[in-house]
Amino acid sequence: MKRTLFILLRNPLSALGLFLVALVVLSAVFADFIAPFPTHAGAVVDFANFNKPPEWPYVFGTDLVGRDLFSRILYAYRISLLLGVVVLVVAVPIGVTIGLVAGYLGGWTEYVLMRITDVFLSIPPLVLAMSMMGLLQPTLTNGMLAVTAMWWPWYTRLVYNLARSEKEEGYVLAAEVIGASKAHVIFREILPNCVPSIVTKMTLDLGFVILIASSLSFLGLGVQPPTPDLGSMVADGAKYLPDSWWLTVFPGLAILVAVFGFNLVGDALRDVLGTGQ
Amino acid sequence: MTAPTLAIRDLTLGFRGWAGQVDVLHGISLHIMKGERVALVGESGSGKSVTARIVLGLLQQLKTARIGGLVAFEGQDLSTLSARQRHALRGTRMSMIFQDPTSSLNPVYRIGSQFHEVLKRAEPGISAADARRKAQAALADVAIPDPARALDSYSFQLSGGMNQRVMIAMALANEPSLLIADEPGTALDVTVQAQTLSLMRALVEKHHTSVLFISHNLGVVREFADRVYVIYKGRIVEHGRSADLFADPRHPYTRALLSAVPRITGGGIPEIDDVSESYFAPMVVHEGCGEPGEVG
Repeated sequence: MKRTLFILLRNPLSALGLFLVALVVLSAVFADFIAPFPTHAGAVVDFANFNKPPEWPYVFGTDLVGRDLFSRILYAYRISLLLGVVVLVVAVPIGVTIGLVAGYLGGWTEYVLMRITDVFLSIPPLVLAMSMMGLLQPTLTNGMLAVTAMWWPWYTRLVYNLARSEKEEGYVLAAEVIGASKAHVIFREILPNCVPSIVTKMTLDLGFVILIASSLSFLGLGVQPPTPDLGSMVADGAKYLPDSWWLTVFPGLAILVAVFGFNLVGDALRDVLGTGQ
Repeated sequence: MTAPTLAIRDLTLGFRGWAGQVDVLHGISLHIMKGERVALVGESGSGKSVTARIVLGLLQQLKTARIGGLVAFEGQDLSTLSARQRHALRGTRMSMIFQDPTSSLNPVYRIGSQFHEVLKRAEPGISAADARRKAQAALADVAIPDPARALDSYSFQLSGGMNQRVMIAMALANEPSLLIADEPGTALDVTVQAQTLSLMRALVEKHHTSVLFISHNLGVVREFADRVYVIYKGRIVEHGRSADLFADPRHPYTRALLSAVPRITGGGIPEIDDVSESYFAPMVVHEGCGEPGEVG
């Protein structure tokens, strides 16, 4: 762990990634203390200061009803990170378990599980998420559900392939010979050897989940107002380009910073953990 | 007379695939008495390793495998046992060591915790401290200089020879009555292989463990085994005590196999037919080596 951190910090790109990720996470966690106008995360109207370009005390400007954009971006990070973490926490165990079972057991189990996975993979991810959101109420929980539904098959694919190669390793046969159960072989022998790849993919994916969630809100299918969301902030401001540029540019930059940061860290982890695919 | 540790009679094996059945074993018979070291020698693909897997009960789970004949372990017919009972034998009454010791150990766990898993098979409630004590003693038995340090290491931190000795210690930790050694140490260099084999020999002698030794290395077999079965294309072609068989190979295939051993005195490898009609000649049994119940 210490060694990993050391190697990460030595490379300027991954150090930048770590810095950006830390920035995003810290601003989300401490939004209550950093935000100059914490109440602006909710339904507040201040027509005296609406649509103002960046100037003190509104460092990123204000939106169309006079709310501080900087404060709203901090709170939007909170929602995005929450969504990203919840989606991965739910999707990864599902995808990983199915992939491990299919890869190790083989035969009919593999056939059925992998064809189901293929069906999910064959639908364009955003379309799947959009149709789910169309059917359900556009709330944060349903947004998580929709993104989770499109996310787990990728982990199944990844882990399935890993499990197929790991099960040929000597230690799997050795475990079978000493009488280890199937569950033991799958979760105690094979899974730990897949963890580096899974962690790398999770780090990379955190950025993409935020991006997809933003796309959904951009289309009006994500988190609903007045809850701040980076995607819907960009969407709302797009109508007023290029005059009120701060309405779109700052939320857009915020998305960029988060996705870029997680990607850099993910790439660096892939190099450090040696899980190049 | 007590039942042999392992008795195989007319064992046949075929794999059923899309293109019909492929026969792998055509009725082989062999037996191992208690404390005896028996080698099964043959070229790649002759059926050595599948025989070992049937004995361990691993192939019986495979739906495409068609197994016939009798495999009896300590007088018990394996086919009459349930999968659960066969499972209970593995790791406790019989165990196995493999070609490549380093890949047989999971790289994400320390040796100590893998040893703990092995000991748990025989004694499910064993405490970590007891397991560690037992593991240390077992590692000391296989001449590992600093057992405590080895237990805290990962497999990739130890040398191949150390890993092989760890595997031997693990395989013998639960005092199995049968040890199957599938080309042990083929992945190691020759001097290390010789050391570990003499170590293994001393240990199995001490514990009266029966060994089924699977190999294509005739020099090693000659040193290690009491009796030798030569297998060719799923049939046993010759059976005799090591000394007799090596001094007086009678089956054409055995002769071909022995002459294929490279010699340090030079002369190169002689021209040997890959397949010859004579290799299918009837089985040759040396004096006093019949299967129990047949010749005695």
